[in-house]
Amino acid sequence: MLRTEKTDINYYGHKPAETIEKREQKPLPTSRAHAARELYFEAKSSISMEFPYWYTRRWEELEGEIPIIRRAEALKAGFEHLTPVVYPGELLAMGKAAYLRGSFPMPWLSEAFFMAAEDKLYKEAQESGKLTADTVTTMGKGGGNVTKSIGNVISIAGKFGIRKEEMPAMVEIAKKWKDKSVDDVGHKYEQMVPGYKEKEALMRSVICMFDSGYTLPQGREVINYYYPLQHGIDGIIRICGKRMAEVAGFPDMDRLYFYRAVNIMMHGIKAWIRNNAEEARFMASLEEEGQQRSEYLEMAERLEWLADNPPRSFHDALQMIWIWHVAVLNEDAISGLSPGRVGQVLYPFWKRDMDKGSLDREKTIELLECMRIKFTEIDCFASMGVVGGVLSGNTFNNLCLGGLKRDGTSAANELEMLILQAGISCDTPQPTLSVLYDEKLPEEFLLKGVECTKIGTGYPAWVNNPVATEFLMNNYSHEGMTLEEARAWSIGGCLETSPGSWMPLNLDGEFHWIPGGSAPATSVGVHFLSLPKLLEVTLFDGMDMRTGLRIFPSHGSKLETYEELWQTFRNYFSRAVEVLTLTNNIQHDAWRKISPSLVNSMLKPDCLEKGKDIGQMGSRFNTTFNVESCGTTTLVNSLAALKKNVYGEKCFTLDEYRKALLANFGYKTAQETGSYSLLDQVPTGDYDQWKRIHKFSLEAPKFGNDEDFVDGILKDWENWFCEMTHQYRSLYDQPMYACQISVSTHGPMGAVTLATPDGRLSGTTFSDGSVSAYPGTDKNGPYALFTSATCWNHSLSQNSQLNMKIHPSVVKGREGSRKFLELIRAYMRKGGFHVQFNIVDSRMLKEAQTEPDKYRSLLVRVAGFTQYWVELGKQIQDEVIARTEYEEL
Amino acid sequence: MDFTCNDCKFYLPVDVFRGICKYSKQKTGPDQLFCDKGEKIQKCKFCSRYYSDKDYLGKCMETTLAYPDMIAAKCADFEWYRHN
Repeated sequence: MLRTEKTDINYYGHKPAETIEKREQKPLPTSRAHAARELYFEAKSSISMEFPYWYTRRWEELEGEIPIIRRAEALKAGFEHLTPVVYPGELLAMGKAAYLRGSFPMPWLSEAFFMAAEDKLYKEAQESGKLTADTVTTMGKGGGNVTKSIGNVISIAGKFGIRKEEMPAMVEIAKKWKDKSVDDVGHKYEQMVPGYKEKEALMRSVICMFDSGYTLPQGREVINYYYPLQHGIDGIIRICGKRMAEVAGFPDMDRLYFYRAVNIMMHGIKAWIRNNAEEARFMASLEEEGQQRSEYLEMAERLEWLADNPPRSFHDALQMIWIWHVAVLNEDAISGLSPGRVGQVLYPFWKRDMDKGSLDREKTIELLECMRIKFTEIDCFASMGVVGGVLSGNTFNNLCLGGLKRDGTSAANELEMLILQAGISCDTPQPTLSVLYDEKLPEEFLLKGVECTKIGTGYPAWVNNPVATEFLMNNYSHEGMTLEEARAWSIGGCLETSPGSWMPLNLDGEFHWIPGGSAPATSVGVHFLSLPKLLEVTLFDGMDMRTGLRIFPSHGSKLETYEELWQTFRNYFSRAVEVLTLTNNIQHDAWRKISPSLVNSMLKPDCLEKGKDIGQMGSRFNTTFNVESCGTTTLVNSLAALKKNVYGEKCFTLDEYRKALLANFGYKTAQETGSYSLLDQVPTGDYDQWKRIHKFSLEAPKFGNDEDFVDGILKDWENWFCEMTHQYRSLYDQPMYACQISVSTHGPMGAVTLATPDGRLSGTTFSDGSVSAYPGTDKNGPYALFTSATCWNHSLSQNSQLNMKIHPSVVKGREGSRKFLELIRAYMRKGGFHVQFNIVDSRMLKEAQTEPDKYRSLLVRVAGFTQYWVELGKQIQDEVIARTEYEEL
Repeated sequence: MDFTCNDCKFYLPVDVFRGICKYSKQKTGPDQLFCDKGEKIQKCKFCSRYYSDKDYLGKCMETTLAYPDMIAAKCADFEWYRHN
């Protein structure tokens, strides 16, 4: 497995032909989408201070006002002052800020991160534990990242650019939130949790990656577009007015303030839309008679209509959902706000236009491609540790296809076929696509999905509909979820199973049940826990040997048996979950008090009915906090190596293992070599001393080969982990559950972890996902991997994640498509929750690493998301290259 | 004072480095000097209610933090400075 030649790649099957195999030919995007994408490629991530300026100004003016009203007025001020921009050729208007890839800081959540480096507050913040994840994260060096300051532009976090004229204002506005932000207030109170010092140590050692309460308090959920599509903005304002009159003066007065707050916020959204309409008219005034002028005028008229009314057409409806998507993104720092089953939500509008003859398939594709570009333009401003280390610059807007209707029949439709087609012709990272696989889905639809995956976009991912439905029934039936309603689910974020509801859309007197999200963020809580690092701390009696920090009190155990080791590991893990749950609950409580959601709350059933925002459990379903893990396979392989080599065959003592781990098995560290892949590591002069133990470690049984010895360890872990999470209660007093996605955390978390007993070296990445094999260790083919991965019941967890890399020649042509579909089907039938693919020749990735300019548009799948290769950090690039490449199925 | 495209109402920003002239449709940058078609956009620094007290920072109506380069096209209190 370990090779020193730089060109080596992990292959299963024969080696590929000498020349690099290109991906399959695909149709090109429309000229409009092509031009928009070219403009996107030129654009850098840029931040502006308009929104935070006006938000903060209004907030200060209203000191003493009821907090939710103050928040509503601040949001309104932010929206109505945003400078409108309309780009030539656009069919869908509006964006987060006045740049193509615009975003802005939200100091009311956390002000510490984006202070200028020389600023005193920033220095203070740097000394606390919570920025540690930032220091071990690498951002991508190319694409749209502003990696260094140039001229009048200052780089922040290696990704965002800000004009120097705005920098002093950014610092001044941030200072206004010191001791008032969600971060600071939460921090003040979380210190009252007994064992808080352990939490601080867990963060500093990067055993836990980040606090969700102030970094990304919303997201990893499915939006619900029903109310604007059905009622329009004026209709919602009328609902609020009526409800205010009904509840004013009666007990539970918070309802009055909620309706009033929504009412205020809606007027800000109206003004924002109207400002963009005005800008479209201005742009039209600068054009001669012709197509561009007509398009600007149509856009202006459409926006003017939608500022008041529900949509009249498919184009209107698409514009409307985009407006509300951006509106939610502008109320909080959010990643993973998924549009959900958009093809089913918009189908009634599309079908009506098609039947009338006012729309055709060609125009639909063009509009859907424009939608892809708009979603790809979304950026999220957060710290480097979050944006780089967790998200890899991605924003996880997952659009789901297929699944079942309310009555249990296939939900796939013609519009979804066109969404897949637009995903093929206009391959962009957003929205990523997922097929909710069910045996009832038509073969033609599934083959279309395969055709899309094959071109190398990494989407659609394939997700198991019955497994997800079972998970939802297990975890939400106590809140009243029925099987019918469970079928409305969708993926929130990269891979979080999220509850939905069917809403009755009345179009011309005919009712259509449309699905949409009906729960707040389904992935907040304990994020992420590094399993290999916790094993390291267990082996070293509660110490982090990298920093010298004591994480937990000494366990005092000699770990003389495997059972003792296993029990001690679980004790430490439980302690980490306990303390992090409590501190996290406090942070989220600070969030809901200081920065309650209004836009997203208005959209989510049943907040408008109940008169409560999502922080007050206004949503229909609220069991949404979880415990996320990272590095499952590295943990399992490590336990297997110790079980065999120390406790079973007694080849080495545990002390010998400890010394070998500290010596990194006689290799240089990943930080020294500059590569985070096990393939490229370099021995030191001491290598011979550790050669034997390293060889035994590498040769110990590895997950992914259908071997009971190691699969049994995974099964024990999963059965215990999924069950133990239910003992902990969320802020909403609901049981928590297990979530198993690595996103990009296996890079930075690996970077701070010593060598592990499975032979992995210090600083290199962990295994990705949760049931992916460690690169190069799955030697018995895909079906053996599937058997290993499904040795436990996936419906016990919110998700599981399996990534595979396949050489393009293996799935070539129509026969290749059939073979590919059978492979996916086999995994789904075994009960696997999720599988996603990179169809790529790894040598192309290596070439792209050295010549990024030649590969600006190259897309790869990481762990739940697709991203431009050049925008990934090196840790993750190395890991994707190292993954086993299947040369035969 | 030299004005740049960043001060122009015909400037369409793409990112912090570059943009498009709405008038000529040509690519340009925020630091390019005004051309003969240039017209100022409403910004705090062009407002009679704005007072600058240090580099890149000032006050609006003598009380509230403001900064010179903020676009004030949607500000209800904006009033062109009389010499502009």
